[in-house]
Amino acid sequence: MLHPGKKISSDDDTIVAVITPPGEGGIAALRLAGKKSLALLLRFFQPAHAKKIKFSPFLLRYGFFQSTEGGIIDEITAVYMPEGESYTGLEQAEIFCHGGCRVVRVILDELVRAGARPAEPGEFTRLAFLNGRIDLTRAEAVADMVAASTEVSLKVSREHLLGTFARHIENLRNDLIKIIADLEASIDFPDEEIVAPERSELLGAIDDILAKLNELAITYTGGKIIKEGYQVAIGGRPNAGKSSLFNRLLRQERALVTATAGTTRDYLSEWLDLGGIAVNLIDTAGIRVGGSTVEKSGREKALKIFKDADLILWLVDLSSRGWKSRLEDDLKYLDGKLIMLIGNKIDLVKEFKKDLRAYPGIIPVSCLDGSGLKKLKSNLIKNINKKMPDLTSGVVVTSARHKQKLEQAIEHVKSARMKLVEDESPEFTAFDLNQATRAIDEITGKVYNEQILDEIFARFCIGK
Amino acid sequence: MTGKDFDIIVVGGGHAGVEAALAGVRMNRKVALVSMDAAKLALMSCNPAIGGIGKSQLVKEVDALGGIMGVAIDVTGIQFRRLNLSRGPAVWSTRAQADRRAYTRFISDFVANQRNLTVIEAIAGEVLTENGRTAGIKTEDGQILTAPAVILATGTFLGGLIHIGETKIPSGRMGEKAAYQLSDSLRKLGFEVGRLKTGTPPRLDGDTIDWDKCELQPGEVPIPFFSYRSLYREFEQTPCYLTHTTAATKALIIAHHKRSPIFSGQISSTGPRYCPSIEDKFFRFADKDTHHIFLEPEGNGTNEIYPNGFSTALPEDIQIKAVKTIVGLEDVKVTRPGYAIEYDYCPAYQLKPSLESKRLPGLFFAGQINGTSGYEEAAAQGIMAGINAVLYLEKEPSFILDRSEAYIGVMVDDLVTRSTTEPYRMFTSRAEYRLTLREDNARDRLFEYAQKYKLIETQHYNSFKELQKNTLEEIKHLGKITLSVNTLEGFKERFSRSRTVNLKNLLKMPGIDIETLLPLIEKHNGSFSANPEVLQRAAIFIRYQGYIDKQAREIEKFKKLESEKIPDDFPFASLKGVRIEAREKLRRYRPVSLGQASRLEGVTPGDIAVLSVMLKKHKGDRK
Repeated sequence: MLHPGKKISSDDDTIVAVITPPGEGGIAALRLAGKKSLALLLRFFQPAHAKKIKFSPFLLRYGFFQSTEGGIIDEITAVYMPEGESYTGLEQAEIFCHGGCRVVRVILDELVRAGARPAEPGEFTRLAFLNGRIDLTRAEAVADMVAASTEVSLKVSREHLLGTFARHIENLRNDLIKIIADLEASIDFPDEEIVAPERSELLGAIDDILAKLNELAITYTGGKIIKEGYQVAIGGRPNAGKSSLFNRLLRQERALVTATAGTTRDYLSEWLDLGGIAVNLIDTAGIRVGGSTVEKSGREKALKIFKDADLILWLVDLSSRGWKSRLEDDLKYLDGKLIMLIGNKIDLVKEFKKDLRAYPGIIPVSCLDGSGLKKLKSNLIKNINKKMPDLTSGVVVTSARHKQKLEQAIEHVKSARMKLVEDESPEFTAFDLNQATRAIDEITGKVYNEQILDEIFARFCIGK
Repeated sequence: MTGKDFDIIVVGGGHAGVEAALAGVRMNRKVALVSMDAAKLALMSCNPAIGGIGKSQLVKEVDALGGIMGVAIDVTGIQFRRLNLSRGPAVWSTRAQADRRAYTRFISDFVANQRNLTVIEAIAGEVLTENGRTAGIKTEDGQILTAPAVILATGTFLGGLIHIGETKIPSGRMGEKAAYQLSDSLRKLGFEVGRLKTGTPPRLDGDTIDWDKCELQPGEVPIPFFSYRSLYREFEQTPCYLTHTTAATKALIIAHHKRSPIFSGQISSTGPRYCPSIEDKFFRFADKDTHHIFLEPEGNGTNEIYPNGFSTALPEDIQIKAVKTIVGLEDVKVTRPGYAIEYDYCPAYQLKPSLESKRLPGLFFAGQINGTSGYEEAAAQGIMAGINAVLYLEKEPSFILDRSEAYIGVMVDDLVTRSTTEPYRMFTSRAEYRLTLREDNARDRLFEYAQKYKLIETQHYNSFKELQKNTLEEIKHLGKITLSVNTLEGFKERFSRSRTVNLKNLLKMPGIDIETLLPLIEKHNGSFSANPEVLQRAAIFIRYQGYIDKQAREIEKFKKLESEKIPDDFPFASLKGVRIEAREKLRRYRPVSLGQASRLEGVTPGDIAVLSVMLKKHKGDRK
């Protein structure tokens, strides 16, 4: 993707921005990108020990930022990256100064007064994409990484950014192309001495691809959790203690500040960081379910929340009489959903352990004194982790669009497999495999034209 | 223009030039065909065969558009067969050995008998322009011929240079001259001119071949002719033979490979990967010890044999020694040496999909000058250039076939959208809508166009309409015939649930075709009176319907992007927001539609999204 020629920049400006988060911090960083990056750096940089200094690419230099009037503004380190070797693809310089709003502000102002233009949001990444430094999946990953709120999501976006995901997709595609090339060679060059692969061999290769595709598609269960968080709804009969549990969990865990505003709040919902995963806790208090006095709209709303939730924490008031029969009713109603049963108010029931013997799945807690909450949390984390993919490879599908394309590819490969089993003519098998390849292409946004023929000519001696 | 000599001048009398000239004449235009030798039109310079995989589809399309190639090979062919018969009908391809001399004679005579078509024996030297438009040509001997449209179909004659070992001979075909001034004229007009290479094997004396050592390859009966216009006839077909190279061949070629201009550095231009020289084969595929050689007759009145698979540019003495190491050729006499030939071409990004140059209105290009190889590829471009030259004169919209309609569309789009760096040959794998683009339905796909442009006789059109109607009726009829599963010897086990099955559903199943069914039907239902052609068409239609429906949805998506036209004056150079690599490609190729833009190498869906927005804005601004 690297283009050897001139790099694109926004109307030839040199742009500048602070690239560390605002607020007090140890060190803040500013980035310059564009033709005058080095010139601007040299203009303000005062070496610590020598009079003049030469900036070698990627070598960090220590010195001072000197204002136009001559005063020292801050002690800094700075680095220069030549065109074609930086993140944006343009000539680039980065200045590391002491964190603190004022110092950063002054340095930025000096640079802007000297001719740099303040960068627009996302402009560095856009330049990186436009200059072919990163592909579509990676550009998407940068956006994710900036928005990533927990450690796990940060790790996954970082892997996408490094191109692990794109490489994995590319390998899958190459596997497909190999099979297609075999089929196409037998169709387009029947007179050549091409030994067609055995059906069992082809089937093996196709099963291999199917397994890989399935393996990848399945990571979306976890990928979705990483990207969109884990949706946990707290439900139960009135006065089961839903709001108490909601507040207890929030008070004990670090709540996350997120930008998911804009939903109508018929219910309370907050984000918290549980074992590195963003968990969206939804309190359905106020929405009454079951029983005969239920309003229809409330019931539908609760149903919708339960339907979308990854997990329902169903609260049972162990101190209320007849909770067992009511639970049996509720369980019928919640049939098929992933539920964790929680028995609340153990502080009010002396013999709860005996009561619970018939219900080993119920976790006993008291939202009043907090007992049992530790176990509840560890069960919750266990529950989430069961759905999480292996993150060590970094190959996790986090986008619904990618998931959909993978599923399409799987359907086409399955169909190709069936043709092969039925001993159908190879042009039909090739048809399905080509469809699968096209679905995969839509993930990375790349289109390869001559690859199948290239593969054929590289592997087979054609030339009747 | 007043006082012009012709409506259209076609430069070059090969397969492209002949189809171009004849299309012009069919559309009532006055055409000049400039060729070095009026008796050598459509000469097969290399192998004496027409058709083959992907190529026969082109021949049938040319035939459906009223072209001459299919008829000519049907009249002069000496052996016909279909390849890929063990596959489905979408990839069946007809191939015929021609009597080379008879083929050329047939075409030369046909051309000579056309009113409105003048063959001028000359070498074109210069393209003439007037007010930025094409005005005619000047021949190397100084003749000026005027016409508002010129079609260049120069083949290997444009700057042709033959190589045999260390020897170089300026020539467009062994023993003939070549055109050298024309390339300079094109460069002066601003065209990029590149260089390609191809090769041909030595020819052998069939009387000196030990045929018993070779494997017989007979023709097919009933004879599969190409053209719907040809009446069926049977004759004794001339067989081909198959043999192979030996360890001695490999040793000899490897020992002397440095004397081949391909390895010595004397030739640097690119040759086709699908048709490498024998020295290339032994080097690129060093682990392969022998290679097939097909011995193909050059005609009925000659003993000359074409050893297909043995193209070489080694020195003549080595060629003679090498050929004799092939099984059955131990005492063979070489009648003519093989050679490599370099020639000029104009990379086809310089053309519109109508094959008219973007730079100079009225100048069209067809055949090898566009970077293709093969008679069929040439003929297909020739007929399109011919039709479009007429439409240009009439100021009518161009005739452009898209990738979903014809192999011709695939080829032209490939040429103008991708930069050919090696001679381009058609393969079925190039056609993404292959299941729809078949030999058997060329007329279904193209006859409406042929009728519209008056390229065919109305009587042929009408009888085809009748055939289409009968096919539809036959499909319905087949759905009504039910067979008991028990009568389906050999297929019974496929039906676990149902006891009966109708023929339509049966024909959809893999491995079942109308030939396997006919005896069963006749055995249990009495005679089956349908016309075999109708029955075959109906069976193929049923077999592919499911896929064609699937492809139809894709084709619909594809057509949507194709219909998003990009105006000629669209400012690609100042396009913002697309990647620089994409912008350079767009500037260079100037695609005519979003669809074409999306197929440019290095242009991503992201770029297309941006382009689409800018296009809407551009169109809005102009209103």
